[in-house]
Amino acid sequence: MTETINGTAPGAERTTRQIESIHVSRFARFKNVAITVVNLSIFFVIWELVARAEVINALFFPRATAMFSALFNGFADGTIWPELSHSLTNFLIGLAISAVIGIPVGLLMGASKVADLILSPYVWAMTSLPRVALIPLLILIMGFGNSMQLTIIILSAVFPIMVNCMAGVKTVEPSLVRAGEVFGASRPQIYLKVILPYTLPFVIAGVNQGIARGLVGMLIGELLGGGGNGLGFLLDKAGEQFDAPMLYATLILLAVMSVGLVQSMRWLEQRAAPWRDISRA
Amino acid sequence: MGHVEAHSAPGAHRATGDQASEPALIEAVHVTAGYENRRELTRLIALRDVSLHVRRGEFLAIVGPSGCGKTTFINLIAGFVKPIEGSVRVRGGEVTGPGADRAMVFQDYALLPWRTVERNIRFAMENRRGHVPKAEQAPRVARALELVGLTGFEKSYPHELSGGMRQRVGIARALVTEPEILLMDEPFGAVDAMTREAMQAELEKIIAETRQTVVFITHSIDEAILLADRIVVISRRPGTIREIIDVDLPRPRFDEQADVKQSPRFGEIRTHLWSLLADEALGAQQAGASR
Repeated sequence: MTETINGTAPGAERTTRQIESIHVSRFARFKNVAITVVNLSIFFVIWELVARAEVINALFFPRATAMFSALFNGFADGTIWPELSHSLTNFLIGLAISAVIGIPVGLLMGASKVADLILSPYVWAMTSLPRVALIPLLILIMGFGNSMQLTIIILSAVFPIMVNCMAGVKTVEPSLVRAGEVFGASRPQIYLKVILPYTLPFVIAGVNQGIARGLVGMLIGELLGGGGNGLGFLLDKAGEQFDAPMLYATLILLAVMSVGLVQSMRWLEQRAAPWRDISRA
Repeated sequence: MGHVEAHSAPGAHRATGDQASEPALIEAVHVTAGYENRRELTRLIALRDVSLHVRRGEFLAIVGPSGCGKTTFINLIAGFVKPIEGSVRVRGGEVTGPGADRAMVFQDYALLPWRTVERNIRFAMENRRGHVPKAEQAPRVARALELVGLTGFEKSYPHELSGGMRQRVGIARALVTEPEILLMDEPFGAVDAMTREAMQAELEKIIAETRQTVVFITHSIDEAILLADRIVVISRRPGTIREIIDVDLPRPRFDEQADVKQSPRFGEIRTHLWSLLADEALGAQQAGASR
């Protein structure tokens, strides 16, 4: 019971937050970082040892050190950076376009039954269809150029974003919308002040899925599209040349890129709706 | 809140049965209302032919079993639902939608979780342009918080507050614009028993100060008797008015010295209400338990 019976005892001694500071070691906050560093170091050392033992053919499984030197040399002689920046630029532009299209359309579908009814069949078909199936058609229409690669990224990312936004709008508490009506909010105000903030975590979750799907789209576009650039092209080339260190180096780069993107979205997610996590706990 | 007469006895100003000549603030005239189920091509009739007058300054409680159309009735006054037949009028004008003269307190509080207490209360003032001048909003928030005893919690978020405190925010938000009519849909249904009693006492005090006309839905017979000037008993669905009971207990009823609950008159009204609701209360309990 945190109530006072009379309810007339607000005062200086009554503070809102029930949080007091506690003392922990100064190094405590570095603990997670330290564990991660040690963990990864052990991973690469074991990799190196296994490769040195030559249990597996070096053609498929290079040493960790060879991979790192390929990575370093690739950056030094300028073979990696243009491809990395090409992929990253393409991906971010594609994701931005997907968000700009996907979020409003998704919100509209969530809010309007008619829009949902009209758009649903296409959206669900496109969400479920394996993206690779579109490659031949896209090549036919757009050739091997950059526009094809960008299109496949957008087609991969836009639908998960749309579907999540739509689902988000449908979870909005009806009583919150009613409260909006009671307290004089117009339709646009209800969207802006009630529905959109409520849906924000779903929007971010949608963008998260869009990132995962969009990365796949980016790679298949670069691998199968034969455009001659991007990380996918780098992978393809390294494979053809039996350049295992470079192949692994590119994979590591891709892993770092995707983890970075997903983690930054997760960070954003926590900032966007702190009330959700706490109220759930 | 602007027109506080701190030491006046609220009971004296309350409308009682002999003031029938005074025009009703809220009028329901032969109202039938319900909800359509288009898939099954049916219409669920929640209220059938209900006629009721609510006087200015009156505290009207509505009791009845679950699903008897209590909420439908309050939604009609709020302007969320339109009657199938009949009409609902406020100050003689047909209700066509929500309006600034009516505010609502929700059972599940309906606070915006991403807003602080202060900004939740401001929400009631910021939507209608020119409704409350900007400069006046901050002092009004302060006054509303003082009224519900939440001064000092301006910067808290709803999830940091207990259920009872959240509902105080809900009440402050409803009162901050000084609406003529306060609609309360089982406002204390989700708080624990102890808090509930404290909140009832506070509500009586607040309304004595602010003089709103209140339409209050409740499951609790005791709550209805303790708070209301009149109690409307609604029958099982389709809801019709079974009886209207005048509660002639003196105010303030939440007085430490005179325990109204021990008075014979309280017992009489209670017994009478129980007999009216006997079979329906059983149904209400079951519905309440399954919630």
